[in-house]
Amino acid sequence: MSIIQQVTTASLSDNWRTINIDLLDPESSSNFDTSTLHPPLVPVSDDEIRTLGQQIRQLMRGGDAEGALRGALEMPPYGGSDAVKELHAETVILVLQSIKASEMTPILKRIFQTDGGSEALDALMKYLYKGMAASSSHSPSRSSAISPQSTGAGFSQMGGRPAVASESSTMSVLLSWHEKVVDVAGLGCVGRCMTDWRKV
Amino acid sequence: MASPEVHHLFHHPIADHSFSADKQTLAVARDTSVELYGRTGSGFKLKDELKGHDKTVTSVDIALNSGRIVTCSQDRNALVWEPSPTGYKPTLVLLRINRAATFVRWSPSETKFAVGSGARVIAICYFEEENDWWVSKHIKKPIRSTITTVAWHPNSVLLAAGSTDAHARVFSSFIKGVDARPEPGVWGERLPFNTVCGEYLNNSSGWVHAVSFSPSGDALAFAAHDSSITVVYPNGADQPPRAVISVNTQLLPFMSLIWNGESEIIAAGYDCEAYRFKGGEGGWQLTGSLESKGRPGLGDAREESAFNMFKQMDLKGKTKDDTQLKTVHQNTINTIRIYEGSGGTVRKFSSSGVDGRIVIWNA
Repeated sequence: MSIIQQVTTASLSDNWRTINIDLLDPESSSNFDTSTLHPPLVPVSDDEIRTLGQQIRQLMRGGDAEGALRGALEMPPYGGSDAVKELHAETVILVLQSIKASEMTPILKRIFQTDGGSEALDALMKYLYKGMAASSSHSPSRSSAISPQSTGAGFSQMGGRPAVASESSTMSVLLSWHEKVVDVAGLGCVGRCMTDWRKV
Repeated sequence: MASPEVHHLFHHPIADHSFSADKQTLAVARDTSVELYGRTGSGFKLKDELKGHDKTVTSVDIALNSGRIVTCSQDRNALVWEPSPTGYKPTLVLLRINRAATFVRWSPSETKFAVGSGARVIAICYFEEENDWWVSKHIKKPIRSTITTVAWHPNSVLLAAGSTDAHARVFSSFIKGVDARPEPGVWGERLPFNTVCGEYLNNSSGWVHAVSFSPSGDALAFAAHDSSITVVYPNGADQPPRAVISVNTQLLPFMSLIWNGESEIIAAGYDCEAYRFKGGEGGWQLTGSLESKGRPGLGDAREESAFNMFKQMDLKGKTKDDTQLKTVHQNTINTIRIYEGSGGTVRKFSSSGVDGRIVIWNA
């Protein structure tokens, strides 16, 4: 093999494209911790969120769905571990399922008009998206038992199946809440969900 | 209230626009060139084209007194266009950045300009007489991401900048020999170059699209991608601010904002229309749109003979033509600027957007 050929094959190979040049630049944006960009979040322990969950369930049993929803959205555990967040998301979705469709808009309007109501609805919107993400990420794993071909084909096809009936009912609850929240808090609310670094 | 003056220049996005002091010349950033329009009667006519950049021009600004035009582009360069009897002469400015230049504005003194960039620096450029050359100094720390927008304080020393790291910051751009030493104020007392006088973040923290000092310079407003505007009232050097007021709206995000006096802000963006905010240190509120909806002469007025209705049904399969927005701008508004005003109050302002329209509004 002549030298010229070697040079050409070396320069034709696109290995250099895969070099991460950011690692070589000490001032690169990938070389700092993005969590330093915002103030640290308050940590929330497992016990605290369990007690809160209990209180909220109590309110629900007492028939005060609005109070339960308000309580659940007031202090979302932004600084908690994944398990804590999961636990609280379950509580919120339980509350959402307990509220009748005709009650949704009046409750949302009342919450929106109070102090910090816009923040609460932003938090609610985050839980709606989290709920939808959770139920759609479950479905491929379950569906693989039934039909291996449909990988992540989307939840819409799974909806009719009896195995995921409860899931699809959760989804329809979440979707109708989504519609109502957008009616009250506007599209700005969806935008804030996307930009916010405080994840639920 | 008189209706706004609408000029539809072309079917192409306008990245930025700027009027000369006498309002006879309009500079518009279109693709890789800047087009200069001259006023002829009630309209604008293309009279010159400034070609010098080879990538998209991101920003343009005309200095009100000297008439010099500064442009910057994704090709990482800024050009200063000097007016001369034979046309505009470009001078290249060495920005020393390795990413696109995103935003440029002349300081009120017109001796400096600031260029924001994707290289996480702001280049402060000034003219060095002995070398006959524009040179730049970088503001680097603590910027962590692309600078999307900058705005000058009336004293030409302080500079506000918004960034995609969700912070709005206030820096000192003091340059010895160019600037007079600034009076101590609410933003700080000693202000050497690159002093960080303030760093602000709101709760839901979106990219900052627009920043602006109030006419007195004692308050700062910024609009972010979380559909909010935030107003900051500082309280002197190293003190926490007196008040930081954030207004979350139900609307789509704002791309640009201006102050009208100390108690009113006009902001516009993805909703294709301008909105008014009112307030002060105690709190701010969205008071509504500047457009009166369903204005006569736009669609709704031709409401509807039976003949017309059937004709529409025959032609389009529907009776209502809903391809037009009800707003004057038919797409996102990128920039709003003060067109006419005095002492901090705005009488008229101009807006430009993705739809290729320039609109002059009564504030």
